[in-house]
Amino acid sequence: MHDEARAEIEAATDLRALQEVRVRWLGKKGRITAELKGLGRLPPEERREAGQRINVVKQAIQEALEARKDQLERAELARRLAAERVDVTLPGSHGPVGGLHLLTKVTNHLLDVFRGLGYEVVTGPELETDHYNFGALNFPPEHPARDEQDTFWAEDGRLLRTHTSPMQVRYMETHRPPFKVVVPGKVFRNEAVDATHEAQFHQLEALVVGERITMADLRGAIQEMADALFGEGTRTRLQPSFFPFVEPGAEFAIWWTHPKTGKEEWLELGGCGMVHPAVFEAAGYEGVTGFAFGFGIERLAMVPYGVPDIRWFYQSDLRVLRQFRGAL
Amino acid sequence: MNVPVSWLAELVEELPDAARLSDLLPGLGLGVEAVHELPAAPAGVVVARIVEAEPIVGSDHLTMTVVDDGTTRRTVVCGAPNAQVGVVSALALPGAVLPSTGEPGTEMTVQRREVLGVLSDGMLCSPRELGVYDYAGGLITFADDLPLGTELSAAWPAETVLELELTPNRADAFGMLGVARDLAAKLNVPLRHPAERDAPGDEEADDGLTVEIEDAAGCPHLVLQRIDGLTIGPSPVWLQRRLAALGLRPRNNVVDVTNYVTYELGQPSHAYDRRVLEGGVLQVRRARPGEGAELLDGERYELDPADLVIATRAQGGHGSKAVGLAGVMGGLHDSVRADTSSVALEVAHFDPVSVRKTAKRHGLHTDAHLRFERGVDPALPPRAAAHCARLIAEVGGGTVHPATSRAGGSGPRAAIAFRPSRVEFLMAFDVPVALQRRYLEALGCTVHETGREEGPDAWTVQPPSWRFDLKIEEDLIEEVARLHGYEHIGATRPDLAFAPPRTDPTHRALRDELAAAGLQETIAYVFTGDDELARARAPEARVRLSNPQGVERSRLRTALHPGLLAAAATNRHEAGLALFEIGRAFLEHEEERLGVVLSGAWERGGWREGSEVDLWRLKGLLETLAERRRVGMAFRPALPDEAPMLHPGAAAIVVWDGREIGVAGRVHPEVADAYELPETYLAEVALPLAAQRLTVGEVPRQPYAERDLAIVAGDDVPYAQLERTVVDAAGELLVEAFPFDVYRGAPLPDDQRSVAVRMRWRHPARALRDEEVDARLNDVIAAVRSAGYGIRG
Repeated sequence: MHDEARAEIEAATDLRALQEVRVRWLGKKGRITAELKGLGRLPPEERREAGQRINVVKQAIQEALEARKDQLERAELARRLAAERVDVTLPGSHGPVGGLHLLTKVTNHLLDVFRGLGYEVVTGPELETDHYNFGALNFPPEHPARDEQDTFWAEDGRLLRTHTSPMQVRYMETHRPPFKVVVPGKVFRNEAVDATHEAQFHQLEALVVGERITMADLRGAIQEMADALFGEGTRTRLQPSFFPFVEPGAEFAIWWTHPKTGKEEWLELGGCGMVHPAVFEAAGYEGVTGFAFGFGIERLAMVPYGVPDIRWFYQSDLRVLRQFRGAL
Repeated sequence: MNVPVSWLAELVEELPDAARLSDLLPGLGLGVEAVHELPAAPAGVVVARIVEAEPIVGSDHLTMTVVDDGTTRRTVVCGAPNAQVGVVSALALPGAVLPSTGEPGTEMTVQRREVLGVLSDGMLCSPRELGVYDYAGGLITFADDLPLGTELSAAWPAETVLELELTPNRADAFGMLGVARDLAAKLNVPLRHPAERDAPGDEEADDGLTVEIEDAAGCPHLVLQRIDGLTIGPSPVWLQRRLAALGLRPRNNVVDVTNYVTYELGQPSHAYDRRVLEGGVLQVRRARPGEGAELLDGERYELDPADLVIATRAQGGHGSKAVGLAGVMGGLHDSVRADTSSVALEVAHFDPVSVRKTAKRHGLHTDAHLRFERGVDPALPPRAAAHCARLIAEVGGGTVHPATSRAGGSGPRAAIAFRPSRVEFLMAFDVPVALQRRYLEALGCTVHETGREEGPDAWTVQPPSWRFDLKIEEDLIEEVARLHGYEHIGATRPDLAFAPPRTDPTHRALRDELAAAGLQETIAYVFTGDDELARARAPEARVRLSNPQGVERSRLRTALHPGLLAAAATNRHEAGLALFEIGRAFLEHEEERLGVVLSGAWERGGWREGSEVDLWRLKGLLETLAERRRVGMAFRPALPDEAPMLHPGAAAIVVWDGREIGVAGRVHPEVADAYELPETYLAEVALPLAAQRLTVGEVPRQPYAERDLAIVAGDDVPYAQLERTVVDAAGELLVEAFPFDVYRGAPLPDDQRSVAVRMRWRHPARALRDEEVDARLNDVIAAVRSAGYGIRG
C-alpha cells in the first residue's frame, strides 16, 4: 500500500473528495494506472513481479476506498437522519372529524338486522293524509283511539304522520304479497315535551304478508331482532293490547339488564299484532295474513347509551353530537 | 282506572293477591301502570260527634266545640267552616300521629294545648290531615253508620289500588265489573255481579215522570227512576273509603252512589232533584240555536246545535230549557241539594260519537264522557238504575219508587261467524274446542254450533252487549288467545318467496361518505316559524299547522338551511364547523334533501398552519360526491333572487349530471349577521343524487400530450365559459382541460384576469406527434382570440 494514497483516502471527508482520490490513483490517468502502463518498459523477467506488486497496491487502495466510502455514506446517512428528526409528540393534523347522528347509527344497526333477515327497506312521506294515517288503518272517524295519537294537523287538513304505519298501506297499494318490509322514519305527536317525550321522534315499522303468516312468525321476528340487539336467547314477551290496525294486537317487551342500574327488567318496546282484515280489505288483499310491529328508535338509543334527555337528539349541540362518533 | 283490590275481591271469588294480579292483568290486556298502597286512617283517631259549638271571642274563624266520643266529652278548638253541632267527624286524640301533608318528615303529633285561653283536648280532622283523601276545605264527615268512639283505623283500613292503563277498545273495563269479569274468566272462578238481585221497576205503573226523547240516535236508551224520602248527608264510611281509593272526593250520599256505580258497573248516571224537572218531564234533545247552560263546574257554556242536552219543561209548562250536557256534565242547578228529599235518577246510553264531539267542543273531560265516548253497555240502564236506586235508598234512608220510566232500548249485537280452527291458524297454538267455548261464554258470549251442514268448525257467537270491540272472527280469536295466554305463542320464521331489492332509501352511503369527509350529521325539527324562515331567507311556508306548539313551531320547514344555520349558531364557540342534515322540506311537494354548512377552520392550525373553509372546499366536497357517482357536477352562477340566502357574488346553482338540483355558495352577509355567524358556506340539494352505473372500460395505454395556454379575459367572464371555448375548439382527442393558475395584477388591467389552462390530448391507438398537437393548440388559440379574449405570455 501506498502511504500517500492512504493519507489521501483518510483525508477525504465527503464522497466527492473520495471520488477525486479514486480518479487520481485509479482513474484512466491515475498513478496506479500509469504504473501498470509502465510495466511494458520493464524487462520481461521483472514484469511479472512488478505487476503483482502494483496489483496488490491497487487492490489495497480499492479496498481502502470502499471502506472509506462505506464509512462516509454511513456518516452521511446519520447526518441526514439527525437533520430529519421531528418531535413525534406534537399533535397530528387533520380536517374535521365527522360522524353520524346516534339515531342514524341505531337505525342502521336495526336495518342491518332486518336486511339480514330478508326485509326490504322503504321510506315514505312525513306529511300524510287522514286516509293513510287513520282511515285505511281502521281508525274510525271520531274514535277515541285517535286521541291516543295526539296529532299535528295542517291547516289544509293533512297531518304529520303519528306513526310509520301509513307506509303499510302505501306499500300494499303498490306491491303484491308475499313480502317483508321495514320502514324507518320520523313521526310526530303533539304532546308535552320533556326529557322522555318529544314532538318529533323516529319509529321503525315492520310488515310481513304472506299466505299464512302466524302470530308465532311475529314473535319469531321480534325474537330474532332481540337476539341481534341484545344477544342470543334474549327473552321476549307479548301481552295483549289494542291498535286499530291489528287483531289480535299486542305489546312487546325484551328482558334485558339496564346498563345503568344493572337491574334486569322488561324493556317495553312497542306495539304489534296480526294485520287487521279491514286493512287488507282497504288494500284489496284477499286470502293472506300478515303481521306488523313498530317501535320508537329514540328509546333504543337513549336507554342503552345513557342519553339522559330526548331533546338532546334535536338540539344540534356538537358537545353532544361529538360523543355519538365512532362505532356503537 | 283505579282498582281497589279489596273491592275486586268482592266480585271475584278466590282473588289472588295484588302481586299476582299485577302479573295477571297485563296478560289479559289490562295494563297495570302502578300499584298504590293507601295507608289506613291513623291510629288514635276516633269517630266523634260535635255536640256544642261556640265561636271563640277574639277569632274570626275558630270555634270552641264540645265533642262526644261515645264515652267522654272533650273540648276541642277547631277552625273548619263545617264545625257545627250534629256533625260526626274524626277526632284525633292527644298523642295521635297524623300524616299531615303525607310527605315524609311532616308528620305531626296531636297535643293537648291552649288556644286563645281554651284548652283544646284533641283535634278534629280534615280528610287531608288524616291522609285518607285530598280535601282540606273542612272536617271529614260521617253518616251514623259508625258508633261514636270507633277507632277509625279499624273502619278505614289500608288498601292496595291497581292503577290500570286501559286501551280505548276496552270500554267495559272502565268499570270494576269488566275487570272482574276478565279475571273470573281467566281464573275460571265465579263472578259475583253486584246488580244480580236488582230488578227494574214497573214500567206500567205511574211515577209522575215523563221521558221525552227527541233524538233517539243520540240517546237510544234512557231509564228514569224515582227515589223518595231521602235525607242528604255524608255517605257511610265504606262508600267514602271506596271513592277515596278510586281517587274521588266524597260529596254526599246520593252523588257518591252515582259516582260509585259509574266505577262499579261502568255506567254513569245523574240524580236530579225532582223539583227541577218541571212537570216531571225529562227531555233529551239537541241544543237550540243560541241556547246556553250553567254546568256543575260553575261555568256557563254556549251550546252548539249539535250538542245533545238534557232538558226539562220551562217554568209554566211551555217550551223547554237545557239543564245539562247529556253524557258529559250535569247542570249547576239540577243536582241534589241539602234539602232534597226526592230524586229522579237518569241512567242512559248515549251515542259515543255525539258525546265525544260535545266534550271536545267544550273542552270537558269527565268520568261520564270518558265512558260514554268509549261505549257504555246499551242494555244496562234498567238494571243499573235499579241497582243504583237501591244503593241510594240504602244510604239516604229513602224508598225506591215501584214504578220506573223508560224510553228506547237496545237490540242484540250482531252475531259473529267463528271457526275454532282459526285460533290455531292465526296463533299457531292449539286451544281445545271445549276450552274455547268456556272462554267465550265466561266473557258473556253466547255460543251456538251453526248447523250440521257447516260441520263442527262453524260457530255462531253472539257477543255480549257490553263488548263493542267484538265484531269479527279475529276479535274472538284474540279473546280466546288472551284468556289462554300470549305466553303460548311460539317463535317461528316464515318461509316466504321474497327477494328484497337492494335499495338505499335512507341514503346511508351518502351519510357515510359525508361523515368520512369530516362532516357531522345533525337532525333538526321539521317545525319552524315564519320569523325563522324569513331570517334564513328560505321560501315562505306552505304548510301551516292548525294546532302548533307555539308560533315558532307553527310551520313546516321549506328548506334545511335554516336549521343548519341555527345549528351553526348553537355551535358558534367551535373553531370550525362542518355539518350536514338529510331530511325533508315541505314546499309544493315534500322533498328529500341534503343540506351542508361549513365555516371557520377546516384543517386545524395549532402549531402549524391550518386552512380555512372557502367556497372551493364546499364545491370540492360536491365534486367528490359527483366523481364517486360517475357524473358531472358544475356550478352555474345564480341569477339575482335565485338564492336569496347567498352572497350575490358567491352564489351558484348546483348542476348535477346536467340537472339543476339545488344551491351552493357563501351565506349572504346579512343572513350570517342575523345568525351572528362568521363567513359561512352552505349547499342544499335535492335527493337522491343521480349516479351512473359502473362500467369498466379500457385502460388508456398511450401517453397524453400537454399544452398550456394563459387566457386573458374580463373578470366577469366565468371560467366555465372560457373552458367551453377551449373544449369546443380542441378537437375530439382532447381528454381534459383544467385551470392551473388564476392571476390578477400588473401588467393586467384591474378588471382583467389571466387563467392558465392546461390541455391534454390523447390518441387511443398511437402517440401524437408534436405538430398534430400544435395544430390543435393553434385551433384553440384562434377560437379564444375570435371570442374576444387575449393570450398571455
